[in-house]
Amino acid sequence: MSTDTAPIETGSRPFNPGRRLLLASLLSASAAALIPWALAEPVDNAGQGAFLGVSAILVGRLALEPGLARRLYAALLAQDARFPAQVGALLAQINQQSLNAATLQQALDEAQSPLASVPRQIASAWFLGIVGSGEAAVCVAYEEALNATIVGDILKPPSYADGAYGSWAVKPVEKQHG
Amino acid sequence: MSARMSWRRVLIFAGLTLLASQVNAAGAANVANAAQIERGRYLATAGDCIACHSVAGGKPMAGGLAVATPIGAIIASNITPSKSHGIGNYSLAQFSQAVRHGVRADGAHLYPAMPYTAYARVTDDDMAAMYAWFMHGVAPVDAAPAQTTRLPFPFNIRLSMMAWNWLFLDKQPFVADPARSVEWNRGAYLVQGLGHCGTCHTPRNALMGEQASKQLGGANLGTWSAPNITSDVNSGVGSWSQQELAAYLRTGRSAQRGQAAGPMAEAIDHSLRHLSEADLNAIALYVKSVPALRDPNDSKPVTQWGQAGDKLAELRGVPLPKDLNRMSGAQLYDANCASCHQAKGQGSFDGSLPPLFHNSTTGRSNTNNLVMAMLDGVQRQGAGVGNADGYLMPAFRQTLSSEQIVSLGNYVQQLYGNPAGKVTLEQVTILRQGGAPSDLIGLVRGSLIVAGLALLLLILWWRRKED
Amino acid sequence: MAEQMTSDYLVIGSGIIGSLAARKLALAGASVLILEAGPRVTRGEIVSRFRNSTRRSDLMSPYPSVPTAPHPIYQPTDSGYLVQAGPYPYPAEYIRQFGGTTWHWAAQAWRNVPNDFRLHSLYGVGVDWPISYDELEPYYQEAEEIMGVSGADNTGSPRKQPFPMEPVIEAYAMRRVRERLAPEYKVVSNTTARNSVSYGGRPACCGNNNCQPICPVDAQYHGGIAALQAEAAGVTIRVNANVYQLEHDAQGRIVAALYYDADKNSHRVTAKTFILAANGIESPRLLLLSASSKYPKGLANSNDMVGRHLMDHPSTSLTFDADEDLWLGRGPQSPSSIGTMRDGAFRGTHAAYRLDFTNISRVDGATRDLISRGVYGEEFERQLRFSSAREMSLKTVLEVLPNPDNRITLSSEKDSMGIPKPQAHYSIGDYTRLGHQRAQKDFAAVARLMGGTNLRPSKEGAYANNQHICGTLSMGRDAAVSVCNEWGRAHEHANLFFCSTGVLPTCGTCNSTENGVALALRTVDHILAEQGIKPAPAPVASAGARV
Repeated sequence: MSTDTAPIETGSRPFNPGRRLLLASLLSASAAALIPWALAEPVDNAGQGAFLGVSAILVGRLALEPGLARRLYAALLAQDARFPAQVGALLAQINQQSLNAATLQQALDEAQSPLASVPRQIASAWFLGIVGSGEAAVCVAYEEALNATIVGDILKPPSYADGAYGSWAVKPVEKQHG
Repeated sequence: MSARMSWRRVLIFAGLTLLASQVNAAGAANVANAAQIERGRYLATAGDCIACHSVAGGKPMAGGLAVATPIGAIIASNITPSKSHGIGNYSLAQFSQAVRHGVRADGAHLYPAMPYTAYARVTDDDMAAMYAWFMHGVAPVDAAPAQTTRLPFPFNIRLSMMAWNWLFLDKQPFVADPARSVEWNRGAYLVQGLGHCGTCHTPRNALMGEQASKQLGGANLGTWSAPNITSDVNSGVGSWSQQELAAYLRTGRSAQRGQAAGPMAEAIDHSLRHLSEADLNAIALYVKSVPALRDPNDSKPVTQWGQAGDKLAELRGVPLPKDLNRMSGAQLYDANCASCHQAKGQGSFDGSLPPLFHNSTTGRSNTNNLVMAMLDGVQRQGAGVGNADGYLMPAFRQTLSSEQIVSLGNYVQQLYGNPAGKVTLEQVTILRQGGAPSDLIGLVRGSLIVAGLALLLLILWWRRKED
Repeated sequence: MAEQMTSDYLVIGSGIIGSLAARKLALAGASVLILEAGPRVTRGEIVSRFRNSTRRSDLMSPYPSVPTAPHPIYQPTDSGYLVQAGPYPYPAEYIRQFGGTTWHWAAQAWRNVPNDFRLHSLYGVGVDWPISYDELEPYYQEAEEIMGVSGADNTGSPRKQPFPMEPVIEAYAMRRVRERLAPEYKVVSNTTARNSVSYGGRPACCGNNNCQPICPVDAQYHGGIAALQAEAAGVTIRVNANVYQLEHDAQGRIVAALYYDADKNSHRVTAKTFILAANGIESPRLLLLSASSKYPKGLANSNDMVGRHLMDHPSTSLTFDADEDLWLGRGPQSPSSIGTMRDGAFRGTHAAYRLDFTNISRVDGATRDLISRGVYGEEFERQLRFSSAREMSLKTVLEVLPNPDNRITLSSEKDSMGIPKPQAHYSIGDYTRLGHQRAQKDFAAVARLMGGTNLRPSKEGAYANNQHICGTLSMGRDAAVSVCNEWGRAHEHANLFFCSTGVLPTCGTCNSTENGVALALRTVDHILAEQGIKPAPAPVASAGARV
C-alpha cells in the first residue's frame, strides 16, 4: 500500500470535484489491502468509483482496462439507474464488514440482501463482457472479457484461429500468469 | 597363309576394334550425358520454364498457358521434344537462338513475354546442358496448345520484334566481374540470367523494355505488383540479412516481414525452393548489392510499419448496418479477417498466420498487393490435396464487394501499415477485372501513323524540291 | 397474384440437400429454380453476430428468426413457433435462410453402417430400408467428394474409393483420451466435412473451435457453400419466398407452388417436377398445408403417414474433470468418438449409440457456473483455469425407433405469416432408455480411465435434441406405411420428390446430413435417367478454384 494514497474513512471527507479523486479514497483499510495495485485509479464520480472498487475486488489480480471499465459502467447504469447507489452501498458494506472475494456472496446471500445480485452483475460484465440478461442483455466485450485473458496463454476465444493447421495437436505450454 | 587372307583379318580386327571403341565412347558419353541432363534439369528449374510452358493439369512443357500482356494474350508454346508439335527437331544452335535471342527455328521472332533478354546471359555450357535435358529428360507431347497467339496490329507482325530487339536485346552472355567474389558472380549470373528476376521486378519504359538504370526497382504487373528489391534499406531489402533473404526465397515467408503470394509464390514453389542452399545464398548476396532506389513514401523500412491495435470498443454490441456495403472497416475486419489475423492484427501465436503490421504488404504505399491478396488469396503448392495448389489465405473476390474491399483495405492500411497507402474504388475495379487496358497498342499504332505521315511529307517535300 | 416463370424443376428449400440436388440437375442441363423461405445471408454477418451475442452458447443466437419465414427460437424465451404437443418435447433448432441449417453444424459427415439398412430383418425392430448399403455407397462417395470429407477407413462403413482427404489432425486433448482409453475403448476420428488440406478453394481448418455456430473461414462445408455452388451451376435461388401451398391437377400431378414474398404478396410458380427439400419438419408441414378436396389429409398423405415416425438422436451426457490437463477448445469441436456400440445383437433389445467426445471450449460455461456460485477473485481465476484445463464431456447419440405416434402435424395456432404452425408429438421409448442405461456403463468406465472426479451426468430422464430430423417422409416399399419410394418419389404424385432427411426410415446412429445428401444425389440420378439424361461429370472439387 503506497503511503501517498493512504486510505481514508469513507464519507469522512466531502467530495471535492476540483480535486482528482482516487479509488483509494473510497476504500476502507481492509478493502484497500485487497487491491493495492488499483488504489491509484482515478475516479470520475462516487458511483463509478464504487464500481471500480468492487470490480477490482471481484476480478482478483487482473487489470481493469479504463476504456472497458467506462463502457461496462455505462451499460450497467443504462440497465438500471439505481446501479450507482447499489454498488455504492455494496462497497460500503464491503468496507464495513471487511468482506473479500471469498466471503462476499455468502454474506449477501445469508443476509438475503437486496444487493445479492450486484456482484454477479459486475462479475458477468467483466468476465463475460455481457451486461444484463434475457432480452435486455447487451454485449460490451468478447475478446477483452477477462475470462479470455485468464486462459489467454493457451486458448483463443472461439472464432479465433488457434494457428495454422495442426497447431492444436501440440501439447499446450502454460505460461506463468502474471 | 596368303597375304590377302592376313589383310582381311587385320581389317576385320580393326573394324571390330573401331566398333568396340565407338560403343565404349557411347557408354562413357551416356554416363557423362546423365550428369549433364541432370544439370540441365536443375538449370531449367532455375529458369522456371515450366511456369509458362505448362498449364495446370496439363503435361509438363506442353505449352498452352495464356500469358497476359498489355498487348494481348501470348500463348506459350510446346517445348517438349515432340518432333511434330514441339522442339524435337531443334539443334543445339537453334535451341540457343530461341532461348537466348528470341528467334525460333523457322526464323520467326518470339515475343519478349519469353524473357530471352534475360536468358541471353546464359553461358554456352549451361545452354548445352538444358538442351540435353529438354531433348532427353522431358516426355514428348504430340499435341499443340489449344490456342494460338493472335495479337492486334502491328504486333501480329513478329518481324516488328526485330526493331524491339535492336533497342533492348543485349546478346552478350554473362561475364564475371573479377573484382567480385565467386558467390556474388554466381548470384549475378542467376539473377540476371535464368532467374530473370528483372522481368518482373525491373520497371519498363513505354515500349516495354526494362529500364537498366532502375534494376529491380519494382514494377506493376497489371494486377500483382513486383516490389522494389534493391538494396535500399527502406524501400528494398537492405534491412534483411543475406540469410533471411535466402530463407525467404526457399519458403516464401519471413516472420515480421512478409509472405509471397501470386506470381512470386509460384516462382518460389516451381523454381526457387528447389535451388541449392549455395545458389539461394548467392542470389541473396547479389540482390542485396543492387544499387539502392528509394520511394519517397518509405520513411522507414517497409517491413517495420504499424503495431498491434484494434477498434473493438466500436464494434461490440453494435449491429451491422442494413446495407452491408456500408460496413465500417473495423466491422469488415471483424467479420472476415480477425479469425486468422486476430483481433489486434497480431497473427497467431507462432506467426504461421501472419501479423498485418511489420508486414511489407501493408508497409508499402503501393496497395495493389494488399488488394490482390484480398481478391485472390494466397495460393501455395502443397496446401491442397496430394500436394496440389491450395489456399493458405482464401480469396475474397466473391465474398466482398469492391466497396467493402476499399473500406477494409484502407482500415488495414491505416491501422497496421503505411498510412500513405490508400485503396480506391477505381483501383479495386481495375484490379478485379485483371488490370488496366494498356495504351501501348494505341501508342504504337499512333506512332506508325505519325511515322508514315512524316515519311509521306518527306517524299512530298523532296519531290517538290526536285521540281 | 403475380404469375411467375416456369422451370423444369422447382426445388423448395436451399439447404445443403436441396442445393446439391438442384446443382446436380443444373449441371445436367436442366433449368432449376429454388424457392427459399428465408433471406440471403453472408458468413461475415454471422461471425459478427456471434461475437456480439449476449448468449454465445446459444447456437441459434447468430441466426435470428425473421417474421416472414419464422423458425424455432428457444432462448431467451421460447417463441412457440414449433408447438410442443408432448409427451416429450422435440425442441429442434433449424434455420430458414439461404443455405439452411448446416451453416451451424459440426460437419459430422457419416455413412450408416451396413446393418443400419436391415434393422428389422436382423434384429426384429424398426423397419428395413428399401435399399442396401451397397446401392447407396457410390452416392456416399459422391457426397463426400462434393463436400470434402476427411476421414480414415476405421469407422465401420466400408468404402470402395478413398476419402477425399485424410482425417483432420487430432487435437492434443483427444489424443490423450484415445491413448488412455485404449485398449478397452477404441477412439476414432470422426469423418467430417472439414478440410485437413485446402479443398474446393477453401482453406484448411485453423482451429477456430467455433464450428457451431459458424466456421469463420469455411474450412467446413455447409449449405451456404452448396447454395453458392448451385448458383454457379446455373440454378436460380429466389430468397424470401415462403412457399405455403402446392397445387395439383385433377390427376394428382403437382402443377404449382404458391409463395409469399417479404411483403406478403402471393406468387405462383409452375414447374414440371417438384422437389421438396425444406427439412424434416417444414416439408411435411407443407404437404399438410396443401390439403385439397381431392386430398383432404394433405398431399402424399392418403395413408396418413406424412409427418409420422418423427425421429432424432437424443443425447445424454457425462461431464467430469480428468486427472490431467487436456485444455479442450483447441481445434475442431467434434473430433472423436467411439463407434463400437453402433451395431450389434443388442439392437434387438436396446438402442445402439455412438459416444461422442466434445472438444468445445469449457471457458464460457465454466465462467457462468462460477459466477452463479458466487466464486470471485483469485479463486475464480484458479477454478476457471482448472476447469478449462481439466473438464471434459462425452455424450450418447442414441437411436430411436420409428413410432407412428411421434409425428409432425399442423397446429391450430398460426405463425407470423398467418400459416398454421408445425406441431411436434414426441416421446422417448423404452428401447432408447435402455440404450441410455447401457451407455451409463461406458460413461462410468471412461470416467474411471481418465481418473475423473466431479462427475456431472445429465439429468436422468432428460434427453437433449440433436436436430437430426428424420422419418417424417419415410421411404419404403409398402405404400401403405410409407410416404415415398426408394427414389424419394411420393407414392401418390408422380412428379413430386422428397430430398430431405425426412425420408430416412430409421435414424441409425449417425448424423443425418450425409445420408440425406447421398439419397438426394441418387434421386437426381433416377430423375435424369427417367428422362434419358446422363448426369454431367461434376467439376473436380480439388484444391484449386471454387466450384
